[in-house]
Amino acid sequence: MIFGVFGKKSLPLLVLFLVALIFLPYAAPRFYIYLASVILVTGLLATSLNLVLGYGGLYQFHHAVFYGIGAYTTGLMLTKTSLPAWVAFASAPVAAAFFGLLIGLICARLSSLHFGMLQISLGSLIWAIVYRWYDFTGGDDGIHGIPVPEAMSTTTSSYYFILAITTLCLLLMFIIIKSPFGRILQALRDNPERCEAIGVNITRHRIIAMVIAALFAGAAGSLFVTLEGSVFPELLSWTLSLEILIMCLLGGWFTFFGPMLGACLIISLRTFAGNYTEYWTLILGLMMMLTIFFLPKGVFGFVNELFRSKAPDLPLEESSHVAD
Amino acid sequence: MELHTGLSFSVLCIQILVGLSKATILFIVASGLTLILGVLRIPNLAHGSLYMIGAFTTYSIATVFSQSSLGFWMALLLAPLLVALIGLIMEQGLFRFLYKRDHLMMLLFTFSFTLVFGDLVKLVWGSDYRSLAVPEIFQGSLSLLGMPFPRYNLFLLLLGPVFAAGLWFLTNRTLLGKVSRAAAVDREMVGAVGINVNRIYAAVFVLGCYLAGIGGALVAPTQNISQGMDHSIIIEIFLIVIIGGLGNVWGALLGAVIFGLTDAIGILVAPQFGIIFPYLAVITVLIFRPKGLLKSIW
Amino acid sequence: MLQIRSLRKSFDGFQAVTEANLSVNPGEVVAVIGPNGAGKTTLFNLVSGQIRPDSGSVRFKGEDVYGLSPHQLCRKGMSRSFQIVKIFSRMSVFENVQTAVISRMKKTSNLFIPAHNIAVKETEAILEAMGLIDKRDSICGLLSHGDQKVLEMAISLGSDPQLLILDEPTAGMSGEETARTIDLMKHLSRQMGLTILFCEHDVELVFSFADRIMVMQQGSTITQGTPDQVRNDPQVKKAYLGGHD
Repeated sequence: MIFGVFGKKSLPLLVLFLVALIFLPYAAPRFYIYLASVILVTGLLATSLNLVLGYGGLYQFHHAVFYGIGAYTTGLMLTKTSLPAWVAFASAPVAAAFFGLLIGLICARLSSLHFGMLQISLGSLIWAIVYRWYDFTGGDDGIHGIPVPEAMSTTTSSYYFILAITTLCLLLMFIIIKSPFGRILQALRDNPERCEAIGVNITRHRIIAMVIAALFAGAAGSLFVTLEGSVFPELLSWTLSLEILIMCLLGGWFTFFGPMLGACLIISLRTFAGNYTEYWTLILGLMMMLTIFFLPKGVFGFVNELFRSKAPDLPLEESSHVAD
Repeated sequence: MELHTGLSFSVLCIQILVGLSKATILFIVASGLTLILGVLRIPNLAHGSLYMIGAFTTYSIATVFSQSSLGFWMALLLAPLLVALIGLIMEQGLFRFLYKRDHLMMLLFTFSFTLVFGDLVKLVWGSDYRSLAVPEIFQGSLSLLGMPFPRYNLFLLLLGPVFAAGLWFLTNRTLLGKVSRAAAVDREMVGAVGINVNRIYAAVFVLGCYLAGIGGALVAPTQNISQGMDHSIIIEIFLIVIIGGLGNVWGALLGAVIFGLTDAIGILVAPQFGIIFPYLAVITVLIFRPKGLLKSIW
Repeated sequence: MLQIRSLRKSFDGFQAVTEANLSVNPGEVVAVIGPNGAGKTTLFNLVSGQIRPDSGSVRFKGEDVYGLSPHQLCRKGMSRSFQIVKIFSRMSVFENVQTAVISRMKKTSNLFIPAHNIAVKETEAILEAMGLIDKRDSICGLLSHGDQKVLEMAISLGSDPQLLILDEPTAGMSGEETARTIDLMKHLSRQMGLTILFCEHDVELVFSFADRIMVMQQGSTITQGTPDQVRNDPQVKKAYLGGHD
């Protein structure tokens, strides 16, 4: 179900698409290049969430925390230290993964809603600290005018950087999903009790999954810095967390590219509908309602089902949960 | 980071009372959420939006009466009814068909209401914030322990136990309450006994929304009524409900008290980072009692 | 191989298991029978770690395994199938069994090699033995109930256990499917030397097939012994036939 409708034959299609993206700056005005960058970064973030949500079945309700941590790490290092730029960028996923480990150690014993709520509390705590620590993080203003390295300071150059890193990260995530770990992750989603019975340490694997997801979210965060040149507390807000959750839902969380598609849809909607009306959130809300009502598997998933033999229509959570 | 040492006892006491009076509003709104969560199993993210609509509506109604005391009482009466009506429409029109879906879907569905309501509020009332004057009867402060204590806060403080008692009575002594509690545990059994479960669900949902509306009405004179109200309150009341125990009204009370107190004391002790204290309290509770302090329905 | 003494478990005051004793020797096929509500499934859950006992002792292969979690017990060589089928419904039959094998091989943290190539032969061997090989690519959520129960067993075999615990392996099966399952169990016991512990409602079946039988009633063990011993035990007669004699 990775490629969805298209199956293995879609590989040339993907390559074609990638080539198109590479040539985008030659064909499109600056605004569209910027938009594409935004979609790539957000799509990467949403895909990292889907690693634990769609493939792992975890109610990761505050994923944006790792994104924000990554962004702030890069932003702070570029602004406050004179370490080389690549260090600043490489530290973002590391810092985010570290927090992923911390939060994972605290939350991973729990299941579903309790897991989600504890994560929201921990995430809100971190947000509150960032929001108030004016001296260090710039408080509610955030940090502006971050010295992004020359090589990625224009719209086009940052686009290529973002495209390269995003492609690399997506490739890595894809490999991980196809690996034995990825298989166990999906098994954990489908039937945690059965997993335990075949010898899998559930908590440990959940923590690993969270660390990996946090790592890629942190990478997305560092990319954000090249996009905007600033960081602010909204990057850690739970509303952003819910937004990316929606992107996964809308695009289809049982497929690999679903979240990216969802990101594309929502960002495009926000940008273009925003031209016509102030009330694009209203439209988004209505779209969401319609999708949930009629297309429980998201847009991508729906298209999938039209063309392939189906996997059984099962809810995200199984009724059997391991006793906590 | 400034730490206030040498806190006088009276300052602390007053601050505690202020915290408790704020906790009243949190309790009222949270109890609505916990009832909906406990009986209908819906994690209603739109609860914050309903609260916000309650506040804005209160502002409008009170303004019609030139923000007089009469205006406030009229608003307190009517605004929650409007919110309850909205809730009825939501439940009958949409939620009713989705009870079989899994919780994540319901969560996101209620979130879409947050988006819709957010923009509707903007449409009706614009993007600026509003303020409502404290009604005349409650203006000014009393002197407690030699410090000023706003009358309105006293009003809220006294209202808390009234609501707690009222809700206890409703859930334990009335037929609706008892049947709802049964339906929360086993929907099918209640249906099999011949009771119209759909009506119960609708009633509980509407009650929950009504409580959100009251909370919004009560908070209106105490702070700026703004667009972001829904976002800030929803996290707070969700955490309160979780630490109290899902579906447990007393739990909502306990949670609200914890939240209000830690917030108030936090601001006193460490003004810059005071906001962290409630979150720390919540995390501590959840680490040791992940299912909440009191018995939860789930 | 398995020794259970005086195992107890209560839930909120309800004594589900009061005094359970059981011994299983290597290579044996042991059955647990008893009326509904006797505590058979609870006992199995206690043995395989899904539930923690209140008191008693459990020894596996001479080692004290009281209170260990299911995944730890699996690593020690105990594997189980469930009464209500617990399978990975979105995956294919092949992938289900393969996942168990991957876990056994301790490759679960491996991030960078593709999963579908691992242990193909071993997985196929298990599927062959269980008669599921021609359904290997079917999504198992769509299989018939009988096939799913066989798959349950196949998954537990993926862990290469020494003790196989089967909770009502023929529940809900047609006569034909039941016979097939019994044949499979005989094959596992006699050709592959597995020790099997199972529980069943169908008493006839049990008497024809098991080496030894343990009878439970209201949470405690009434008796253990060979089919003949159990058949003639007065307490068992009383439990199954009620008070009139």
